[in-house]
Amino acid sequence: MTDFMEQGILIGIIATGIRLAIPYLLAALGEMLTQRSGVFNLGLEGIMLMGAFFGFYVTFVTHSPMLGLLAAIVAGALMGLLMAFVSVTLQAEQGISGIGLSMLGWGLSGLFFRLYVGGIQTIEGLKPWKIPVLGDIPILGPMFFNHNIIAYFAFLLVPISWFVLFRTTWGLSVRAVGMTPQAVDTLGVSVTKMRYQCLIIGGMLAGLAGATLTVANTHMFADNITAGRGFIAIALVYFGRWSPWGILAGSLLFSMADSFQLWVQVLGINFPYELAVMLPYIVTIVALMISFGRVWPPAALGKPYERGVRG
Amino acid sequence: MKSTRKILSILLAMVLALSLLITGCGGDQKPAAPKADAPKTQKLKIALVLPSTVDDMAWAQSMYEALKKLQSQSKDGIELAVSERMGKPVDAGAAIRQYATQGFDIIIAHGAQYQSVVKEIAPEFPKITFAYGTGFQSGPNIFAYDPQAQEGAYVMGVLAAKMSKSKIVGIVGPVEAGDAIKYNKGFQMGVAAAGGDVKTRIAYTGSFNEIVKAGEIAKTHMDAGADLLTGSSQQAVGAIKAVAGKPGTYWLSTDMDQSAVAPDAVLASQVYNWEKVLTKIIDLRKAGTVGGQHLTLSFADGMLDLKYNPKLEGKIPQDVKAAVEKAKKDIAAGTIKIDLSK
Repeated sequence: MTDFMEQGILIGIIATGIRLAIPYLLAALGEMLTQRSGVFNLGLEGIMLMGAFFGFYVTFVTHSPMLGLLAAIVAGALMGLLMAFVSVTLQAEQGISGIGLSMLGWGLSGLFFRLYVGGIQTIEGLKPWKIPVLGDIPILGPMFFNHNIIAYFAFLLVPISWFVLFRTTWGLSVRAVGMTPQAVDTLGVSVTKMRYQCLIIGGMLAGLAGATLTVANTHMFADNITAGRGFIAIALVYFGRWSPWGILAGSLLFSMADSFQLWVQVLGINFPYELAVMLPYIVTIVALMISFGRVWPPAALGKPYERGVRG
Repeated sequence: MKSTRKILSILLAMVLALSLLITGCGGDQKPAAPKADAPKTQKLKIALVLPSTVDDMAWAQSMYEALKKLQSQSKDGIELAVSERMGKPVDAGAAIRQYATQGFDIIIAHGAQYQSVVKEIAPEFPKITFAYGTGFQSGPNIFAYDPQAQEGAYVMGVLAAKMSKSKIVGIVGPVEAGDAIKYNKGFQMGVAAAGGDVKTRIAYTGSFNEIVKAGEIAKTHMDAGADLLTGSSQQAVGAIKAVAGKPGTYWLSTDMDQSAVAPDAVLASQVYNWEKVLTKIIDLRKAGTVGGQHLTLSFADGMLDLKYNPKLEGKIPQDVKAAVEKAKKDIAAGTIKIDLSK
C-alpha cells in the first residue's frame, strides 16, 4: 500500500478519473435539467461536437481559451434552441429529432472543420490551474486541486443545480412541467417557455462539455472527437435518477473505473485488455442493478405538450 | 393536423441526416454518374473508400495524398472520387458497388476491414481492378497491399530503447487486431533486441478514433515513467499532442510523417510509399493484369522508409543512428526475421 502511494499511482488514478469525469458531468447535468422539463434530448452528442469544434476554432483564431469556451456555450445554446424548435414548437418525435440533431452536429462540425481549419491543428488551450494553498496539500492537492477551471466549475455545478432544482420557484416549475404540464399550464406557467429555457441551458452545458475535450484535454479537434460520450452522458442521467448527486456519483464511478483500467493496462498487470476496456461499463451496470429504490422518471418525459389535448 | 406534424418532423429529421451525408461523401466526388451518350474519355478513374477522413493525419491521409500527387503528375489525367467516414464495411460495400456501376477503373478500399466486401463484389465486375489493404488474400481482379508495419516498428523499437533515459517505453494501442498487432509486436521485438533492459508497456483504447482516450493513455504512460511513446491508427494524434506537453518525452509515429502535429515531440516516422504501390497497380493494369497479386511494402522493396524529424535529428547520437541503420539493412537483407507468430 505504501508503495502504491509513493509511486503516485493512487494520485494518478484519481486525478485522471476526475479529468475524465468532467465532460460527462457537464453534459449529464444539462440533460438532467432538459429531461426534468419533459424533453428527451438524444442530440447531446451532436451538441457536444459543435461545442468541441467552436471551442477549438475560436481558441485557434483568437488564442484565447476563454473566448473559445464562450463560443462553445453559444454554439450549444443555438443547438439547444434548434432542438427546442423541433421538439417543442413542431412537436416532433423527440427520439428521432434527437438522433437527427446528433447527426447534424457530427456532420456540421466535420464540415466546418474542413472548410475553416483544413486539417489537424493544435492550440495552446486551457492549462490546469492549481488552487493556492489547497493545491500544495500533499496527496490531496494533486488529486483534487490541480485541474483546469472547467473542472472546478463542473463540480460546483452539482450543488448549484440541486439548489436551483429543489429550492427555487423556477426549479419547481421545471419539475412540474416534466410531471404534469397540464396542471402547470392552468396555473399560468408557459410549458413552451420552460422547455425552451431548459433545452437552451442543457445545450450550453453540452457545448461546454464538448469544448472540455478540445480546449482543455486534447488541445485539438478531429472528426467525431466525442466518440459517443454524449450517449454515455444520457445513460448517466438515468443512472443518477435525474438527481445532481446521483449524476455526480455515476460520472465519478464510470470515470474512476475507466482511469483505473488505464493504469492497470499501463502498469502491465496481466489482465486481458478487452475486459479492462469494458470495466467502466460493467461497473456501472452492476451498480445500477444492485442499487435499491424505485425510479421515478419525469412523468411527461418524451411527450410533446399540446394545449387542450390530454397527454 | 397531427399527421402533417408527423410528416413535417420526419422531413426535418431527414434534412438533418442529409447534412451528415453531405460531409460524409465530400472530397472530390463528382455527383452525377456519367451520361451514356457522353464521349468516352481516356482519363483513368480511381475511387478511394476511406474509414476515416482525408485529413486524419494518418492512414487515410497518407493514401489520399499519394493519389493527389499521382493525379497532379499524370499525363493522361486521373479522375479521383473519395468516400470518407466509411467505418462500417456495409456502408463501404454500398459505396464500392456504386463506384463499380459508375464505371470506375480502379477502386481502392483502404482498410483491412474491407476484405470481405471487396471479395464479395469484385467477381461481379471482372474488368474493374479492386485493391484493398492491409491484406494478403488477392483475387483475379483484386490486389491486396500489405505494408510490413512490423519492419519500421522494429527499427523504431531499437531507436526507442536506445534513446529512453527512464528505460520505459510506452505503446498507445488502438485494438489488438490486424495492423496494430504487427506494429506493436515489431516494436516490442525491436526494443528487446536493442538490449539494455528496457521495458515496453502497452495499453489499448479499444477503438481506432478515440483521440481523447489516446491522449489520456499517453499521459498515464508518462506519469508511470515512460519517456518514449508510439502507437498506430488515426487516434494517435491525441497521444502526440499529450507527449508534446511534456518536454523531454518523444513520440515515434507510423502511417505518415506526423511531425507537423508536434514538431518538438515527433522524433521519427515510419512512412509508406503509396505512390510506388499505386504506380505499380496502374502499370500492371495497363499491361493487362487487373489483379491477383499480393503487394508488400517493405524496406527490401523500398516502399517503406524511416524518416527522422529534421528538427530533432541532431538529438540522436551517432551510435544510435548507426544501430538503427544496421537494423534497417538487416531487415532488408533478411538477416533479421521478424516472426509475428510468437
